[in-house]
Amino acid sequence: MPHAGWSDFAFDGIGTRWEISTPKPLPSPVRRSLLGVVEDYDRSYSRFRTDSLIARLAREPGTVVLPAGASELEVLFRKLYRLSRGAMTPLIGSSLEQLGYGADYALRPRGHPVPAPRWEDVLEWNGSKISASAPLVLDIGAAGKGQLVDLVAAVLRSARITEFLVDASGDMLHSGAEPLGVALEHPYDPTQAIGVVELHDGALCASAANRRAWGDGLHHVLDGATGRPVETVVATWTMAPSALEADALATALFLVDPKVLDEEFDFSWLKVYSDGHAAYSAGFEGTLFT
Amino acid sequence: MTTPLHKSILVGAAGLTLAGSVAACAPSTQASAAQSSTPQGTSTQAGAGKLATTGSSSSGSYKDGTYSADGSYTSPNGQETVGVQLTLSGGSISGVDITVHPSNPNTKKFQGEFKDGIAAQIVGKKLDDINVSKVAGSSLTSGGFNQAVETIKSEAK
Repeated sequence: MPHAGWSDFAFDGIGTRWEISTPKPLPSPVRRSLLGVVEDYDRSYSRFRTDSLIARLAREPGTVVLPAGASELEVLFRKLYRLSRGAMTPLIGSSLEQLGYGADYALRPRGHPVPAPRWEDVLEWNGSKISASAPLVLDIGAAGKGQLVDLVAAVLRSARITEFLVDASGDMLHSGAEPLGVALEHPYDPTQAIGVVELHDGALCASAANRRAWGDGLHHVLDGATGRPVETVVATWTMAPSALEADALATALFLVDPKVLDEEFDFSWLKVYSDGHAAYSAGFEGTLFT
Repeated sequence: MTTPLHKSILVGAAGLTLAGSVAACAPSTQASAAQSSTPQGTSTQAGAGKLATTGSSSSGSYKDGTYSADGSYTSPNGQETVGVQLTLSGGSISGVDITVHPSNPNTKKFQGEFKDGIAAQIVGKKLDDINVSKVAGSSLTSGGFNQAVETIKSEAK
């Protein structure tokens, strides 16, 4: 729990551990709403279950209608697809499966890396409506967890809970008067931190290549243009008003020069490279240990 | 290039220090005359954010307004310039803005880093030794993924 005396509500959802901390224990109806929102999201977007909405697109070309929040994802992915020149793409799913990170958790490459199909060739995404002209594995993982953190926070706010921390295993959203110190996990040693950042009324998200990794340089942050894992960056952190943006930008930092992102987004960033050096924007000034 | 406010925390702090080396500031209304004048023996005190007025200044204080000047410093690449703009109100600095003018391509990179920040090497500390309850890092993964990794490891032995 982030502050002494607070209560935690913990559960598993979308393949990760969630912890929602509030000054008082959450009433049962709120807990039920929270679990419902998480389950709805999973049933819409998971590429790890056959009954999800997007799983239909993997089986055959066609159209699916996603929840209303899909239009926010569309805007964000479209922007980052453009800024990264196709390196960051919601069509990365097939490249991940090729390297072994599919629903079957084969974790063995099927062969050489394959680039993601081009958005303009196979995907029509208009708001909540997605049409595929060929079977495709949509993977909105780069922003999905962040969006779900925001949705969870919205449930809390609608229950008039204004002080909380939503922590989806390292991607978090803070709301309340008292700031929270959060350690930045060492990219090469999860028992260590490389710094502490103060989080206050906003989101902090991280992306790292160390844990969703399955050997031989294989990890889950791929360059859509090549289908290969990014080798030069090992971990990124971002702070932004929404977890949706913070989450997506943490992945984008693996693939795009921060200055390019700086021009279009209001966010703070920290980027650690594979040689151990780090670069950061003013918002992360003074957070790293020296 | 003007630095947006939300990014100027670091720049602002550095600006106070730098301003001391570009003391030939003058209100922009008289910029053309003053910029060619010699430094007037004024300096800023970083931290206090108050303009000290030593030397031959007749009025004893500066008028409110926006002052700007290009300052130069010696970098490993040679002589470089940085534009500094100070806003004075009530004798105190109420705003600092820095504009970089990279004069050679190598410097562009360093000045960019100066504005954003670079750590040559990350330093780890044990989580047990840090008084925080939350950690942001690579997300914990689902049982399925972890089990599969373990299976592969054991098969590889």
